[in-house]
Amino acid sequence: MPRFAHPLSPTIFLRRNAGKTVPLIAVISLAVMLVQSIIALINSIPLSIQTIYRYTDRFLGVSPRLDPTLTPVFVKELTTKPPVEIERVILCRGSGAQVKSIVGKWPFAVMGFEKDDLEYYLKRQGYTGITGRRPVDGEPEMMVSTAVAKNLNVKIGDVILKPDDSDNFSRHPVKLVGIIQCDRWLMVSNKKYFADTQPIPIDFALIFTKKLADQPIYDKWALGKMKGKFAQLFAYSEIEKESKKMFEVLYKIIDAVIGILVLVISIMMGMLMNIYQTQRLVEFGLLQAIGHTKKQLFKRVLTESVIVIVGGWFCGLVAARGLLMLLKSNLMDPQGFALDVGDPMAMSYTAPVPVAILLIAFGTIWLRFRKFDPVAVVERRIV
Amino acid sequence: MVEAVDVSLIYHDHDREVFACRDINLEIGKGEFVGILGPSGSGKSSLLYLLSGLKNPTRGDIRFNGVSMSSLNDTERAQMRLQKFGFVFQQPYLLGYLTAFENILTVNQNLQERAKSLLEDLGLSEKMNRYPHELSGGERQRVCVARALVNSPEVIFADEPTAALDHINGELVVDMLNRHRNDGSLVMVTHDPAMIKDSNRILVISDGTITRN
Repeated sequence: MPRFAHPLSPTIFLRRNAGKTVPLIAVISLAVMLVQSIIALINSIPLSIQTIYRYTDRFLGVSPRLDPTLTPVFVKELTTKPPVEIERVILCRGSGAQVKSIVGKWPFAVMGFEKDDLEYYLKRQGYTGITGRRPVDGEPEMMVSTAVAKNLNVKIGDVILKPDDSDNFSRHPVKLVGIIQCDRWLMVSNKKYFADTQPIPIDFALIFTKKLADQPIYDKWALGKMKGKFAQLFAYSEIEKESKKMFEVLYKIIDAVIGILVLVISIMMGMLMNIYQTQRLVEFGLLQAIGHTKKQLFKRVLTESVIVIVGGWFCGLVAARGLLMLLKSNLMDPQGFALDVGDPMAMSYTAPVPVAILLIAFGTIWLRFRKFDPVAVVERRIV
Repeated sequence: MVEAVDVSLIYHDHDREVFACRDINLEIGKGEFVGILGPSGSGKSSLLYLLSGLKNPTRGDIRFNGVSMSSLNDTERAQMRLQKFGFVFQQPYLLGYLTAFENILTVNQNLQERAKSLLEDLGLSEKMNRYPHELSGGERQRVCVARALVNSPEVIFADEPTAALDHINGELVVDMLNRHRNDGSLVMVTHDPAMIKDSNRILVISDGTITRN
């Protein structure tokens, strides 16, 4: 005799009642997909900001406030008895440009280097090559990385900084002469051009530790040391902290919205499950009358519910991943924005959906079985 | 085998006590076919549910093979029903999402050969893989009979099994129950005396009391 599944196995009921099971799974999936997608998309804002400014995790930037002559003083202070070994200090000149972000335009530094320093800087950022050429000393020329080129939708030969553009200002039109093959966001030019064209001669100091892993240790030390002084420090840890702080309130609002959403979905699903269980009272009555225990029936119905809920949750996670991949490739990637399709935080936000539905389903089924009298069914008092 | 000792079943209608069964004393022997006859509302179904352990008596005791049912908990009573008893109800209750064959196996999944042979004997071998909505009322009740017989129960309790059937199908169902019960006892409630013409004994019940045995 071939292997035969138990007629009362939960999978047989679920398969043969697909008309009831599939809509339940679909509703749970949609809820999970909605929650995960919302959170992943919200998270893409700080993630994009962190991605834009990630280049700052390879150095500590220092610029003096008010007095340009303070730069060497600060450099001396920051290179005296550091906690980790320093490999190089670069003095550069900078200008500002704007890049597009999900929440509008964001400022971005265009850094002007001397030839050797540029090579060191690009290596430090992990570039793999250059399309086009490097800027010539003193000429209004610049390079951007592939991510920036994508974001600004520019190609070699385009003018990036202009005299008539207040967001991307330069005394002369600055042309794009090279694209840096690097997944980090970079905008670089030559130091001489900025030195010649900027009225206030402010040197920015970039301090690089010998080991990459030591940079955060050094940054922390430097931030503490320069507290209260007329210096502005650029460290990735600060940007990360600020971007998280910036969205604190937004996350609180999201928490409330998700909480309400989970509650509404759970109540709705609980009611749906109650309706489905009510439709099965004759089945439960019959099975109990012929000798199946309440415990067996309760366990079976609960297993069915767990399969539906967990199945719905899993399908929702897969669907959300698909949707986010679609959004990433069609909306985010073309503009250089970051989106984590497997965002663990977004996934964790979906966990209350199956848990709450399961609790409500458990309560509903338990109440249904607690005082259930099978004789009422076989005597046709319940039909 | 099944014994009722001074059994009463009382329910409350507002402040009034109503006797569904009153001081019933009864013994059903092994292999016996007992018919319970009486008008609607006389308490015959209540007696059947008391004897089968589906209801608990308000007073008195029901014993099966000498064991008092009141000494068993819900789970033990359910196990006893599943293993020792077979049930046929007024309506041909089947699970709509299971085939005729699978419905029979809800009692015990391991009795596939027995279920097949019963379906053959009951003339349903070609319809074993049909769902209840694809069967006629008589065929459905025959599937219920097969389900009641599949585990070769010691007692079969039938509560007006012919109520939803025409006379021919009704007689067929009773005949099948009687022929295939082997050594099992059969307790059948009916209001149609013709259906229990082959019984060994007929109990007539009126107002919850056995008036004739």
